[in-house]
Amino acid sequence: MNEQITRLPAVVIAVVAAGLLSVTLVADVPAAEARINGLSGATTFNFTAKADHLSTGEGSVLLFWGIANGNGRAQYTAPTLILNQGDSVTIALTNELPVATSLVFPGQTHVSASGGTAGLLTREAAANGGTVTYTFLADHPGTYLYHSGTNPEIQVDMGLVGAIIVRPTGFDPLNPTAYGPPDTAYDNEVLYLMTEMDPRLHALVESQGVAALESTDYLSNPEPNYWFLNGRNAPDTMAGDGVAYLPVQPYSCMPMMHPGDKLLMRNIGGGKDLHPFHTHGNHFRLFAKDGRLLRTSDAAPISDLATYEYTHKAIPGETFDFIFEWTGEQLGWDIYGTGPGFHHTCTPDASGFDLVTKEYCPDHGKPIPVQLPPDFEVAIGSHWGGSPYLGHTAQMPPGAAGLNPMGGFTYMWHSHQERDMVNNDVFPGGMMTMLMVVAPGTHIH
Amino acid sequence: MNRMLRTAALMLVPALALLPSASASASVFVQCPGDTDGDAIIDHPDPDHPHAKCMHLAAGDGYAWMADGSELYVFGFHDVTGVPPEHVMMAGMLAGQVPAPTITLDEGDELYLTVTNVGMVVRSDLNDPHTVHFHGFPNAASVFDGVPDASLAVNMMSSYTYYYHVVVPGTFMYHCHVEATEHMQMGMLGNLYVRPRQNRLPDGTDLNGFTHHTGNKYVFNDGDGSTRYDVEFPIQLGSFDAYFHVMDETFQPPPFAALHDDYALINGRGYPDTVNPNPLPPSATTGRVSQQTSSLITVDQGQRLLLRISNLNVTRFYTVRTSGLPLLVVGIDAKPLRGPTGVTEYYTTHSLTTGGGQAIDAIIDTTGVPKGTYFLYTSNLNYLSNSQEDFGGMMTEIIVQ
Repeated sequence: MNEQITRLPAVVIAVVAAGLLSVTLVADVPAAEARINGLSGATTFNFTAKADHLSTGEGSVLLFWGIANGNGRAQYTAPTLILNQGDSVTIALTNELPVATSLVFPGQTHVSASGGTAGLLTREAAANGGTVTYTFLADHPGTYLYHSGTNPEIQVDMGLVGAIIVRPTGFDPLNPTAYGPPDTAYDNEVLYLMTEMDPRLHALVESQGVAALESTDYLSNPEPNYWFLNGRNAPDTMAGDGVAYLPVQPYSCMPMMHPGDKLLMRNIGGGKDLHPFHTHGNHFRLFAKDGRLLRTSDAAPISDLATYEYTHKAIPGETFDFIFEWTGEQLGWDIYGTGPGFHHTCTPDASGFDLVTKEYCPDHGKPIPVQLPPDFEVAIGSHWGGSPYLGHTAQMPPGAAGLNPMGGFTYMWHSHQERDMVNNDVFPGGMMTMLMVVAPGTHIH
Repeated sequence: MNRMLRTAALMLVPALALLPSASASASVFVQCPGDTDGDAIIDHPDPDHPHAKCMHLAAGDGYAWMADGSELYVFGFHDVTGVPPEHVMMAGMLAGQVPAPTITLDEGDELYLTVTNVGMVVRSDLNDPHTVHFHGFPNAASVFDGVPDASLAVNMMSSYTYYYHVVVPGTFMYHCHVEATEHMQMGMLGNLYVRPRQNRLPDGTDLNGFTHHTGNKYVFNDGDGSTRYDVEFPIQLGSFDAYFHVMDETFQPPPFAALHDDYALINGRGYPDTVNPNPLPPSATTGRVSQQTSSLITVDQGQRLLLRISNLNVTRFYTVRTSGLPLLVVGIDAKPLRGPTGVTEYYTTHSLTTGGGQAIDAIIDTTGVPKGTYFLYTSNLNYLSNSQEDFGGMMTEIIVQ
């Protein structure tokens, strides 16, 4: 037992309830609504590496080194670049850090560096004002990362890591695909850039400078005690994009979807540790790794070597993409409720699902098979809507719940290495967030 | 000091046991179609639920033996199926099992799984609720998913019945999801697997050139007999941090940031306890038997042996390997290793690497394998140890006879 964090994720205000007590099922909202936040529509970027402080999930503060877009504040994680296949990309980097730095772009081609000074992995921008320019060709769609190429054993932990998304040739925002083939089509997408920080390292760099690390074993024996998704620890992962109280951690990490939607997950191992990544709610279909489709040959029309998993071994430096779907198929009871106040219809298509609501019709009208205990016999979760039925809420005791006003079904998506679900010594936190499946017709953004 | 705490805590047992009878009948409440007396045994099968299966678990605490002879305080589930409701609290208290009782299901079952929170007797200050998370359950509903943040978690001396319509065969697992880092490190971890409908085909059914015979068992509905096996063993990989358990036992805050496991386990035991075919002896503290699951694997030469590997440790990845016995990996995470168009991706290996929450189905064909004793052991070799004892750890024996 430990102190429960009571700060309210801002997602409560980032979603719109579609009627609280009784939802009439309406047409599914068209595709392509939930998108990854980042820099899109550009191929030239002026970045500045600089120091700032971030806020951890339990309220501590860590010095970090990040990337600022233009002259803004540094951010963690670095700006997500959303590119189009075939883009020739130029990144001009100015370095305001007290040490030399650089950027590398694993998985991109025709990478070149100009200006700056020679470094080990690439050319570097000198400390305190040096500059360097990188160019590369984004010639392959997919999910990638970029990070510091200068003392990455220190600088990536310090914060110099970000995501790159390359849209496929012919990308249609109204009918998006991750790679082009039809089995990579999706309705919503979410980024999970997984990283960790060793707070000892950050404290030492802040108090004594990076050279002091030479007399420690922090690099050979790291003790990461903060685990991040898109630069935030839970519960901040569930706050909206760009919330004011996280000024240098702009990226949310809370997937949302409707039953029957295809949710594209882009997952990046941005740190140094393995993490078993688990999706509550259903299996997923993993169809690409490191920006390449899993298929027997390039001629295969779909990813015929895709695998179905419920936990994936996420490896540092690797990216993977999967599609997650959820319908409640064959649960054996009507997830939209039965009896007075729960009227809805279900017209099955050939596969048994209502074309509009994606309800699984063979279970339509079947009551929930068990009765739930009275409120005083249970602890009520903050993401519990008060009702077992999708799109419904019910009155709960004062102070209970509150983060699920639309009556969604909430599923934890997290590192199943559960020690990663802690912010230093405080549970819960870390590499954890929630997927929320909301009733058909409920708006997502 | 430690012993005094235990003794003091145990004195609370009779006091607690009086409470349920004093607080009316709402506390222990089993829901099971066809059960007339509340013990989770079906007395008169309900024609509306011919495939109902009921189970009753008590969630609480207890003690478990480590293979170096030390005892660790644990949280655990105890199987109280068949216990009359008025006796469930006494039967379940201080009886948490490591691993949790194995749940074996058949595709098509309706599982009514009642969990009664019998309290953590040693931690009299700790009024934690508990849940069951059926890890990997497809198309789960949040109300039965067991995540306390997203649903309801049952308080002490109350019951919660989970309902699962089981339609996907394979190797799953279950665990408590309350304060997951703590409750899982403390041991609330169970094997769970589902046998496929293909097992029940009529004798002589043709499966694309493979002839099914009554009694054949398969991992999946493979359509070709390629996942047939003769004997199966659930292998739960796990590990405990003794310091964490001592802190929990002695009323200290859980030392999350210091987590470092030092007892590596298979089905809740270190070697050589893993090859003890019997339940381990009763706890010296409680007198309860808490470690029922042997990992001694015996197989007749020529048989196909299925290992249902699951990993529920909370701190690291483990690799296990076999000496001399190739492993044919046919499934992961309760799915056959086949692509969307049916491309078979089975592969042969001698090592399996999993992190917490991952499962692998691997078949060992012992045809032509010389009789003898083989080992399944971690190749993270430092974990061939029981804490300070330079021997043991995550290892068991496979005897081909």
